[in-house]
Amino acid sequence: MASNTKPPETKVQIRLSTRHLDLKFSEDPGAVLVPTSLRRLQLSRLVNSFLQTSTPLPFDFLINGQFLRSSIDDFLTQNGISAEITLNVEYTPALVPPVHVASFEHDDWVSGVDILSQGSPAGTWGASIPSGQERIVSSSYDGLIRVWDLSGNCLAVSAPPNNGSRISSLKCVNWLNDKTIVAAGMDSVVRVFDYDADARTITQSLELYNHKWPVENLAVHAPSDRILAASADTTISLFAAAAKDSPAAPDHLLPSSTTASNKRRKKSNDGKTVPSRGAHRTLTGHTSAVSEAIFKPGDATVAYSASRDHTLRTWDLTTANCVDMRTTAHPLLCLTALPTPNLLATGTSARHITLADPRADATQIAAMTLRGHMNAVVSLDQDPSSEYGLVSGSHDGTIRIWDVRSVKPGGAVGEGQVGESVYVIERDGAKMKSSGEGVKVFSVRWEAETGIVSCGEDKKVQINKGESR
Amino acid sequence: NIDPESLLPKLPSPEELKPFPTTCAAVFRGHEGRVRSISIDPWGYFLASGGDDGVVRIWELLTGRQLWSVKLSDEDAVDAVSWRPGKESTILAAAAGENIYLIVPFAILSPDVEQSSRDLLDTGWGYAASKPTATNGVTTKEPPARWSRPGIRLEDKGVLVQIAVRSSVKAISWHRKGEYFTTISPRGQSTAVAIHALSKHLTQLPFRRLKGLAQSAQFHPSKPIFFVATKNSIRSYDLAKQELVKILQPGAKWISSFDVHPGGDNLIVGTYDKRLLWHDLDLSTKPYKTLRYHQEAIRAVAFHQGGLPLFADASDDGSLQIFHGRVVQDLMENATIVPLKVLRGHQVKSRLGVMDVDWHPREPWCASAGADGTCRLWN
Ligand SMILES: [Mg+2]
Repeated sequence: MASNTKPPETKVQIRLSTRHLDLKFSEDPGAVLVPTSLRRLQLSRLVNSFLQTSTPLPFDFLINGQFLRSSIDDFLTQNGISAEITLNVEYTPALVPPVHVASFEHDDWVSGVDILSQGSPAGTWGASIPSGQERIVSSSYDGLIRVWDLSGNCLAVSAPPNNGSRISSLKCVNWLNDKTIVAAGMDSVVRVFDYDADARTITQSLELYNHKWPVENLAVHAPSDRILAASADTTISLFAAAAKDSPAAPDHLLPSSTTASNKRRKKSNDGKTVPSRGAHRTLTGHTSAVSEAIFKPGDATVAYSASRDHTLRTWDLTTANCVDMRTTAHPLLCLTALPTPNLLATGTSARHITLADPRADATQIAAMTLRGHMNAVVSLDQDPSSEYGLVSGSHDGTIRIWDVRSVKPGGAVGEGQVGESVYVIERDGAKMKSSGEGVKVFSVRWEAETGIVSCGEDKKVQINKGESR
Repeated sequence: NIDPESLLPKLPSPEELKPFPTTCAAVFRGHEGRVRSISIDPWGYFLASGGDDGVVRIWELLTGRQLWSVKLSDEDAVDAVSWRPGKESTILAAAAGENIYLIVPFAILSPDVEQSSRDLLDTGWGYAASKPTATNGVTTKEPPARWSRPGIRLEDKGVLVQIAVRSSVKAISWHRKGEYFTTISPRGQSTAVAIHALSKHLTQLPFRRLKGLAQSAQFHPSKPIFFVATKNSIRSYDLAKQELVKILQPGAKWISSFDVHPGGDNLIVGTYDKRLLWHDLDLSTKPYKTLRYHQEAIRAVAFHQGGLPLFADASDDGSLQIFHGRVVQDLMENATIVPLKVLRGHQVKSRLGVMDVDWHPREPWCASAGADGTCRLWN
């Protein structure tokens, strides 16, 4: 064939659909014949023309569980699909590539972060947070909690606890509302703090005792004033965030309970006393460290937990009974819920993310497996703008963004469908490392206004955000 | 013409024998000079390490974060560290020079775990005084060991007991119930092997005369049997009857270490002459299998103790080798041994490579100690 002869334009029938209710076409255009030379941008224009949007939105396109990153023609060739058949093309608001916005320096490893903003859970539970007044709280291995504004100004720092010369390294921190912070860590105590924005102070208001090994993660539910603590001692506690609603603390766990400990505590006593209390419920059943426990979205009488004993469990918080258990092949290190596809996402020490259907009648252990991380996956959060989006933080020094619609069949037995990440974010100024040395990410949170906030061994809180559309 | 190889039973492939450690998941940096010994605690949360800098360190296993440290000696290396078995209390034994230390690292413990651990160490104070060893006017010999409080600097850190023996200690190993532990002082001659009783603060020397230089010792996992390795052989003794049971002859020039399979009937032996030997105690006093995979001396060997059919060795060539080792209860069937993976990452320093290896209590993870000053977690 002569090389200068331009082949006739190939066309293909496509049928456009979306899972986003607010973005459905008012009239179904049916199958549309389009040139196979089209790419994402032209398809995006086409969708906008059907939607008759005043300001066009950028869209991404999924065909057979894969994002279109080339022309339709190349996609068909790569996947061995004939242009004769009608393609089902799913459109979804485009994820804007997140770019590095800022990093906040700490004195030590940063173990946990949380965001206070209009869109974050704590922001909806407390006073309204005006745009630009978002706050980040961080917990560090140096034992201190810090509140930051988005310009990187440290607005307030907590005082070290008087815990009888025990380690004070923190593992996790949460906003309960705009005035209350909860944190916990290696000394096994959960602490509630008052944050005074005007005085710029973080003052301890309550100590909660129920654990004898470190508290790995916390979850909070302000409407019921409840805190879930996941501990390495194999148990989960349900605490109240106020002293008046709480039972007495178990004596044997108090720093004043033993002679040696009490002596050390008195030596360093600063005269201030903080009320100590115990737990409302202790959830027992896990046989190894509990990595994370969360409230079921929309029903705070139910909790889910992930443990290093390889199991995912569902708990009835009213009775403290374990009502369901799923056993996986690996230690589980973190947990988040995706309410719309009704999936639990859990990160493993075996470098992947497992998605499981928590409903009792689901038979498969794993509905999906997300692969790509090079080391343990230790933190997960939802995409605030997509029910199908996830962000993960790993000891490999990366944060990855995933879309659970972007999956292919054909994993190993029991793995379900397999997915790859949509974006990979590294630490500012450092490359991914499978050994994680110096770059491990410990926590990640994602919120629409603020972006993706993460922290780790590099002693930094890092913010990444998609550039505004 | 039949290929004799085809008559042998086919070994399973490593892919079928997952899970086993394949990748370095964390690097533990902080020791100055060689790391000599490591131990993962019974919960699997902490890694303890001891090295040429005379310091014992405790690290968070999953992150590599150093949580605690104490300097035990200005002159001597910490040659051995070993956590006491049992999840209710947390006690670390460490040896530097001629001293063994028992440590309750209270800074990383809750008050009740601290208390139960202290109680275990405190019951023995005064025991020796209440049981005078001099009777009927016979002058007592120098006791084999002196149990004492190590002084305020160390006690303030949780180093609560110091046991001074007569010769430098190179190895520590606990009995599974946590009441007894044994220490090895290779140059100690009649005091080379010592057995210490925690609740009585009492040290006994079970062997008047030991043929050869002692290297390592282990309690049988379930029977009152005690194994002692010298340079060339491993002897097992019945502790109840106080008699020799068996002499294993690995055929090695110099044994560095050995470990007992949790079932109790199989043993692995590492040698400075680069070989790893598997002994089936039911079969013979000679090794059932000889494995030659390393370019340099093997310094440490370890069986997984938590139910996984895995074992590992550590070598001066800078690598660790991971093996599948399945023991079948059936007497007619021998153990299946399959090499699975070589783990590389440690640097060789002054011809020394990996000094020690230990397994996680449940997971298919192991940790290693390097002459390069690092520890590593593999999963
Ligand atoms: Mg060891």
